[in-house]
Amino acid sequence: MQVVTLNTAGGITGGDVFQSNFLLEEGSAATITTQAPERIYRALPFSPPASVRHSVTLGPGAMVEWLPQETILFNGAFLRRQLCVTLAADSCFLGVEAVVFGRTHRGERVSSGFLSDTVRIVHDGALLLHDAVHLSGPIADILARPAVARGGVAVATLWFVSPDAAAALEAVRAVLKEEDSGASVWNNMLVSRIVAREGAELRARLISLLQVLRKGEKLPRVWMC
Amino acid sequence: MSLPRWLSSLAEKSIAWEGPLIRNRGRTLQANIRMSTNTAEIPALLRLMTWLSPAFPTGGFAYSHGIEWAVEAGDVCCPQSTQAWIADILVYGSGKNDALLLRAAHRAGDDQEGLFRIASLARAISGSAERLLETEAQGTAFSAAALPWGGIAPLPYPVAVGALAGRYRIAEDDAVLAYLHALSSNFVSAAIRLIPLGQTQGLEILAALEPTVVQVCSSTQRLSLEDLGGACFRSDIASMRHETQYTRLFRT
Repeated sequence: MQVVTLNTAGGITGGDVFQSNFLLEEGSAATITTQAPERIYRALPFSPPASVRHSVTLGPGAMVEWLPQETILFNGAFLRRQLCVTLAADSCFLGVEAVVFGRTHRGERVSSGFLSDTVRIVHDGALLLHDAVHLSGPIADILARPAVARGGVAVATLWFVSPDAAAALEAVRAVLKEEDSGASVWNNMLVSRIVAREGAELRARLISLLQVLRKGEKLPRVWMC
Repeated sequence: MSLPRWLSSLAEKSIAWEGPLIRNRGRTLQANIRMSTNTAEIPALLRLMTWLSPAFPTGGFAYSHGIEWAVEAGDVCCPQSTQAWIADILVYGSGKNDALLLRAAHRAGDDQEGLFRIASLARAISGSAERLLETEAQGTAFSAAALPWGGIAPLPYPVAVGALAGRYRIAEDDAVLAYLHALSSNFVSAAIRLIPLGQTQGLEILAALEPTVVQVCSSTQRLSLEDLGGACFRSDIASMRHETQYTRLFRT
């Protein structure tokens, strides 16, 4: 089953609250994606952060692909986002979160902003992953730092929890030839990070990575529009 | 207080140093960081120095936190780039996160369940297979070496240090400063061997990193495990790519 979510407001700003819960019953499979890249607009001064919380719970043998399109942070964006994935012992998860800081083709720069983006994966009752991106203040300057993104403004992280994770590593590494990307496997989980100069480059690299992990299966059509 | 002003005030005061480094800082931080100074607390400082000394057998010399790849890739190639890379790890990466984990473990006291919860978070945030190895192996070695002080269950490195320091009522900020110092000197030592840099250049980097270490210590005081997180994407990637690096001196 393919699920495409749509934000009819056309974007998210300070004080907005979004919440979604997905429950996959035993043996089911779903690909969850978004109609368009999510835009996080500038928050007004003193407004609370935009709050986005997703939870995905998988029954035994269920499989979820969490493939939202990228999130675009505008200058002054103020976002707290959390994704909680709860897996049974034998359920599988493939997930991606991509963030682009400013619409680079328009020369935009996130000179200030706040992003707290947490992904938690609980597998068979145990915490498997806690990935927290935390950027606060002069985001563009922080991204310019050498061990952060060396000026790259588009970042993606991918998680693949499956008994096949270790077997997929070699093929994943073969498509991640560029310097600013890498992959590692531990505890039956593959994690990959990509840093790109801008959004279009990130998307292209992410698509080739997803194609390897999805064994050539076509991405949801909304990704290609 | 601005960083340059603080640095110059530090330089002024250090001549008349008669105790804690931090006491000489601006008023805002003065009240926040507690350093052990009076005679009654000397054993605490003594233990902290032992536990975080390079001679304490945690095997720290074997781990570069991906710096070996950063050298290979040309990101770390001179004193300036070494300092910048390590500062990033301290402020936006494992330095900050380890400080938060250490603080939480220090506060957990005898709450074993709490400690195990912090330990599982420490493992879950490690970011790559080698980084998990780094925190687990050093933590296990630290726990084993802590036997003369009553021993401690094997825990990820910052959690083990925090738990032991908490047990001996060593001031939390002292433990964080000592831990971050040990972390940064271990990274500098890796860079000295890899680039290579001279010993004097290495010490210059360490001296230049002092304000960063103090900054991470003070900025994590009021934070909790809710604030775990960072943005050291390229350091994470360096650690991942180190796994397939052809010639390696370091385990990570």
